[in-house]
Amino acid sequence: MDILDYDMVVIGTGIAGMTAVLHANMAYPGKLSIAMISKTHAMRSHSVSAEGGISGVLYPEKKKDSFELHAYDTIKGSDYLADQDAVQVLVKGAPDAIKFLDHIGVPWSRDDRGDIVQRPFGGMSIPRTAFAADKTGFFMMRSLYDEILKYGNTEIFHEHFVVSLIQSKGRVVGVVAIDLATREAKVMTGKSVIIATGGASRIFRFSTNSYSNTGDGTALAYRSGFPLKDMEFVQFHPTALIPSGILITEASRGEGGYLINAKGERFMARYAKGKMELAPRDIISRSIITEIKSGRGIGKEKYGYEHVLLDLRHLDPEIIHRKLPMVREITTKMLNIDPSKEPIPVRPAAHFTMGGIDSDIDGHVVDSNGRAIAGLWAIGECASVSVHGANRLGSNSLSQCSVWGKIVGRESAKRAVDMKAEAPHREGVMEQSDISMKEIDRLLSAKNGDDPYAIRDELFDTMDSCFYVYRNMPGMRNGLKVLYRLRERYKKIALKDKGAVFNTNLRDALEIGNMLDIALVIGECAIRRKESRGAHVVEEHPKRDDRHWLKHTIAYRSGNGMDFSYKPVTITKWQPEERKY
Amino acid sequence: MRGSRVAIWLYAGMIGVPILLFVFLVLNFVSAPYSAIGMRASLALAAMGMIALGAVGMDEVFLHRREGAFGEVPKQLVLPAVMRENTKHIPGKGRIITVRIKRFNSTTKNFETETYRAKADELQTVLGALLDIKAYSDPTLSMRYSCRMGICGSCGMEVNGKPVLACETNLLSSLDTNGEIEVQPMHGHPLLKDLVTDFDSFFEKHKSVGANLYRKDEKEQYEAKRIYKQTSGQTEKFLPYSFCIMCGLCLDACPVVNSNPNFVGPQALSQVYRYNADSRDQGAANRLVGIDSIDGVWGCEFAGSCSKVCPKGVDPASAIQLLKGDAMKGFFEKGDVDEE
Repeated sequence: MDILDYDMVVIGTGIAGMTAVLHANMAYPGKLSIAMISKTHAMRSHSVSAEGGISGVLYPEKKKDSFELHAYDTIKGSDYLADQDAVQVLVKGAPDAIKFLDHIGVPWSRDDRGDIVQRPFGGMSIPRTAFAADKTGFFMMRSLYDEILKYGNTEIFHEHFVVSLIQSKGRVVGVVAIDLATREAKVMTGKSVIIATGGASRIFRFSTNSYSNTGDGTALAYRSGFPLKDMEFVQFHPTALIPSGILITEASRGEGGYLINAKGERFMARYAKGKMELAPRDIISRSIITEIKSGRGIGKEKYGYEHVLLDLRHLDPEIIHRKLPMVREITTKMLNIDPSKEPIPVRPAAHFTMGGIDSDIDGHVVDSNGRAIAGLWAIGECASVSVHGANRLGSNSLSQCSVWGKIVGRESAKRAVDMKAEAPHREGVMEQSDISMKEIDRLLSAKNGDDPYAIRDELFDTMDSCFYVYRNMPGMRNGLKVLYRLRERYKKIALKDKGAVFNTNLRDALEIGNMLDIALVIGECAIRRKESRGAHVVEEHPKRDDRHWLKHTIAYRSGNGMDFSYKPVTITKWQPEERKY
Repeated sequence: MRGSRVAIWLYAGMIGVPILLFVFLVLNFVSAPYSAIGMRASLALAAMGMIALGAVGMDEVFLHRREGAFGEVPKQLVLPAVMRENTKHIPGKGRIITVRIKRFNSTTKNFETETYRAKADELQTVLGALLDIKAYSDPTLSMRYSCRMGICGSCGMEVNGKPVLACETNLLSSLDTNGEIEVQPMHGHPLLKDLVTDFDSFFEKHKSVGANLYRKDEKEQYEAKRIYKQTSGQTEKFLPYSFCIMCGLCLDACPVVNSNPNFVGPQALSQVYRYNADSRDQGAANRLVGIDSIDGVWGCEFAGSCSKVCPKGVDPASAIQLLKGDAMKGFFEKGDVDEE
């Protein structure tokens, strides 16, 4: 087995991971060796699917916008579970991130004077979402990737799957990764290790996410004993195309689209009169499901799912052409629907993991006592700082990835440069990597056993039925029972593909293991929170309960079980109030 | 020619057939509870195949003796199709469609065409069918995929001979005249396994042309204190070329890349034009020097197939012709980002 030594190891190459790599290189040009690891090709991470835009106060005077207002919108959107000091870091860093991306080539949509255009988004009190048509994430990814290619000290490991974190004397000193092309194991050590592996919404069948979003980094951290925070909060995006779950951007409503039920009514008038279709996502998703449950949805005969309609017929076709080209491309190719002529069938789908690896305001991963772990950071969707609390506002995720990508990129680079070279103990490293490789060998050598894909199917069904937009106690109890049974079955799976070259059967099995771990944490956290806040709604406890539940859930592995604790929410100036739109 | 045909038949007869037999046996014993009839039928089929191919092979050996030539062993030879039936319930609805997959075997370096069945309703995509086959029929099948919405660029392949992204290709509207689908990996890239090709040299080419926004004052660029002025009209000039998702389909279609692997290719060249045409960029002249060669823009014979197959409407062919013009007449640097 090869041992490769680097200054920095970055797991995940979405917007957060690549921003960190770029800023580390910029801060110390030519001084750092960096391993940038992706289980896909680096430029294909799920961030490419981000469509609508990135939030940030760009033109405060002209737009009468301010950091205060952006922060307030975000905190109110979070149903007051966001840490307010972290939100202030987010809003202050966001405009710089947009300017920086402008300077490395993102083709922002602009006006005739040369300024960047901003559009309205859900829960934002004024238009502050910058965008590049409706492929914002894709353009950010391409610009970051192209810029990183300038730096020869950065080695890009395409299609390498990280199977474990290596620890030594209380710090994380490296990772074990498997090269998908050859199944060869590589140990990569780093003075700084960053987890930037994205969300886990693929544990649901009906999901907007790429197939790759299986929460691998979050599961790695959990299995290594690091706590996860607020995992019960899963965002369901209101407008996912059926039956595939492909995201139809919130920008389609930002540009003026309506949501209508079977009777043709703009039903949001019943639920959020002030904001209508631009209320936050949790509220709209609940409204859609309520409409469907009340018999005002469209039946499942045609597409297999009950749904409502997203109506863009009244929009100027020129707006669709210039600002929402991907919406038209997707609906035409997938359903043969021209959005100018026909409304689009949509339904809420799992979209974003508000929870994640517990990390502090500087991006450090913390242990169960709240102490920062030396040398380990988490950024992007896999981390919970927390700026999104119980519900993220649309377009705040790209800002989060950019802002903490920069903070952690620079900090972790500084640590790597300052640290006196002390290579981790070779024997200890090998011992730990041998343990994880034995696990792989076991998977490959099992002759008869359970089919991992059957387990995955049952996981999908369980998550979709027991942990969807509305949750209830008996449903969650049953769901958890099934999940524990699936985890037992998973221990006895067998793989058909024993090959070494591009063995995706093995990769899928590893992913399914990660998905089961994350699903269990989500289930256990959800059943404990006996209130309704943001995206987490329990039918038996329909109200927000600040007296008992204005706190973060912390879940961590303890022996073979799970332990829980709670952490206060940081409140600086915005006291919790009733959330009305 | 004669010699290589001899080699093909020899190898098919003497090596291929035992492998074929072995595959059948393994299939019967391992993959699923096959019936005794199926077992006997496949054995009989394998035996017949062995006799037939062996006979032809011997004939070729005699021919070879008469003509006294023995050519090189071909790198890839196509074995007869192996029929593999779904044995498990396929979820979903729709009709059953036959999907033939030309799989590259990473060990033998040969193609093996296997036939599967998939369910397809009117919304089923080619990728959807492949994922069903992997989950419910044959977990050993490998292909790349991720976003399933045409933006990550993973799933470029050939469907009935046409280079497409599998995720945005509707299955029922792609059937051939027999009502079937044939899927194979892209050309123009080295093969890894089944439908998966090796992208290393493709990425290397993209990197080699300096496809990133260049500013003379890097400090100012990175500090990014202000927003560059760029009107919507100026954005429009390069925007169509910026939609490249690096899927590699243009290389699959390009006749030049397929004959001269050193040709930097339509993807990289289109990205040179994308940055050269960006009013914020100041690196155009340098990039032009790099591609002013027979492995650069002058390698292009303007077949135009790259633009025809691009799933995102990037027009590399036009980009390359525009670059040829710029390379001949020299280039005036842009990069003024303060115009009001």
